[in-house]
Amino acid sequence: MHPNRLLSILTLSAAAIIGLAFTIPFHARAQQSTVPQSVPTSSEQVVHHNVPASTDGGTVIMLCDGKTSIEVKGLKAGEPMSHAQAIAVTHELMDKWRRENPGEKWEMAQENQPESAASAAANAPVSAAHSAKSPPPTRKIQQGDTYASFTDRDYKIWQTETDKFVAEGKTIFHSSKLLGSTIGVSCDMCHPDAANTHPETYPKYQVQLQRVALLRDMIDWCIENPVKGKTLSPDDEKLRALEAYILAQRKGVPLDYGKH
Amino acid sequence: MARSKLILWGVVTLAIFAFSSRALAQANQPLAQPKSTNQVGFPTDLYHWVIPPDNPLTPAKVSLGKELFFDSRLSADDKESCSTCHDPQKGFTDQLPTSMGIHAQFGQRNAPSVLNAMFNTLQFWDGRAPTLEAQIQGPITNPIEMGMASMDAEVAKLRAIPEYAADFQKAFGGQITFHDIERAIASYERTQVAFDSPFDRFLAGDQKAISDQAKRGWALYNGQGRCMSCHGVNPTQPLFTDFKFHNIGVSAHKSDFVPLARKALALLSQKGGLQEIDRLAIQTDMSGLGRFLVTKQPHDIGGFRTMGLRNLLVTEPYFHDGSQATLWDVIDHYNKGGVQNPYLDGGIVPLGLSESQEDDLVAFLATLTSPEYTKQAQKEYQEQFKRSRTDRPQRDEAAAMGLSGRNGPGFSGPFGDIGPGEAAMRENPADLGGRPVDSLK
Repeated sequence: MHPNRLLSILTLSAAAIIGLAFTIPFHARAQQSTVPQSVPTSSEQVVHHNVPASTDGGTVIMLCDGKTSIEVKGLKAGEPMSHAQAIAVTHELMDKWRRENPGEKWEMAQENQPESAASAAANAPVSAAHSAKSPPPTRKIQQGDTYASFTDRDYKIWQTETDKFVAEGKTIFHSSKLLGSTIGVSCDMCHPDAANTHPETYPKYQVQLQRVALLRDMIDWCIENPVKGKTLSPDDEKLRALEAYILAQRKGVPLDYGKH
Repeated sequence: MARSKLILWGVVTLAIFAFSSRALAQANQPLAQPKSTNQVGFPTDLYHWVIPPDNPLTPAKVSLGKELFFDSRLSADDKESCSTCHDPQKGFTDQLPTSMGIHAQFGQRNAPSVLNAMFNTLQFWDGRAPTLEAQIQGPITNPIEMGMASMDAEVAKLRAIPEYAADFQKAFGGQITFHDIERAIASYERTQVAFDSPFDRFLAGDQKAISDQAKRGWALYNGQGRCMSCHGVNPTQPLFTDFKFHNIGVSAHKSDFVPLARKALALLSQKGGLQEIDRLAIQTDMSGLGRFLVTKQPHDIGGFRTMGLRNLLVTEPYFHDGSQATLWDVIDHYNKGGVQNPYLDGGIVPLGLSESQEDDLVAFLATLTSPEYTKQAQKEYQEQFKRSRTDRPQRDEAAAMGLSGRNGPGFSGPFGDIGPGEAAMRENPADLGGRPVDSLK
């Protein structure tokens, strides 16, 4: 990227410090900056920040949280900073934010602003779609990064699919027939509800195998020996389901690989 | 007064007689009837989650909704019904690149199918409406689609049609309102579910339901073709989409994103709301901005909804602008890594698919056809296959195999194969707009 371009973006927007505005000079957050610009603004879509007046004859630069600001001494309104100075200012703003918000994560703090005008603006097209007599919209318009914004329905779909997989494992775990046992033995006879399978301790050295084993290796050992069946390939659906069930039964137990 | 009313009735009756006969014929076709949910692969859990609690399905609402869906009196000139662009005979689309509305005017977007639309998290190509109900006023009031001045005008128009008074009374227990028009049409649309395809039977355990070629295609769909990443599918959610919005470079062919985005922001700051977004999406060159028109977020520039893939042989042509005629063209587009632009989704990369692999993928896609469209889909498959042997406008073998474009020589920029290439990095990517990658050399 051309240095001049970078510089002008930095002066436009403090948002540049979190890497959002490098390729997007008209980014909505850019409109929160203190420098006048040609990009049109709208009360509906943009948060207008009340930037404090300068007390020292310089220019006040505000972070896009709308609260944190510092004054750059000797910088006249509309005057660009040097590259080095702009970098220093953005770092100082972010440091100040961290001091004022100890223990907070920046991305989370920006997400958790229920009353922010940004989220109100996001819903504006929906609100406008309904006339005054209609009830307020209940569904939020999907926001945020394409790969990181999910709806309640997404979580329900994931949970349903995961539970199905685990339930399949449970069925196999309890079925000597599905396990291919030649003597009518199933896993649950020694491991009721998958007890004493300690899946959280893998990988670990297994004396029976005289090598380091994964959980699936041990499942296969059990299938071959006490169960008296044929071992399953590591990508066999049955083995995958068994592993899923055994792990699911130990939900919440900390991983502790290599433990004996 | 009485006399003018009489004349009005005469005109209305004539209009009904003259213009609604085609729509009525459509409404009586088997393909227009509400579908059974007893289909292989039908997502029962999901179905119950997505029926809105404030608009449960009832036979009266569905029947009224069907009447409205096929009634061209819903448009300003009594010529366009919902079914004009969402024709059951054509998989509830019009099989046109972009749709033709009132006074033979064409919009900028391809008509999406009504089939399984009830499962969408958001409606329209850019998700500008949250529900089927909220979506309905878009086409009705768009000046080049059905051309009604407002939903209030629509209510007034329908209140003047005597048969509807009783139907609305029966379905909703009151007189015609704007929300009840929406609820009725949405209810009918929620009966248009299409599963039961050979692939559904394959997933249910019938190994013979699809051919070996289609099985190879399914493996490519999950693997080298990377289709599954966005066109996600599982038994709980068997819709072949992530319901998200991605820039795959389709509108980069003809849109210079940055100036267009500035223009759109300027207009939307003066006047917001669904109707204005609808106008920009259907009637202007800002259509190519896609999801950005709704969210105004830069990462949504040129992003369009991932379409589900069921029955796609009867919903051709493809993409939001209907710019691709065959499934081979669509796969060629992905195979070469889309069309380079600064907002291209990071998941769009060259795929290195061979000719026979593309054939396998199309064979798999053809198995997503519901039984009622089998014949049509077979015919369309043959036509597309024939065309694909000679006519391949999107094919770029070198780009697909990584021998040119951003992975090729001269494009080893600082971000490797996820960057726009060395040449592009000399300039600010935002200044490049939607120019194709060739012009960067």
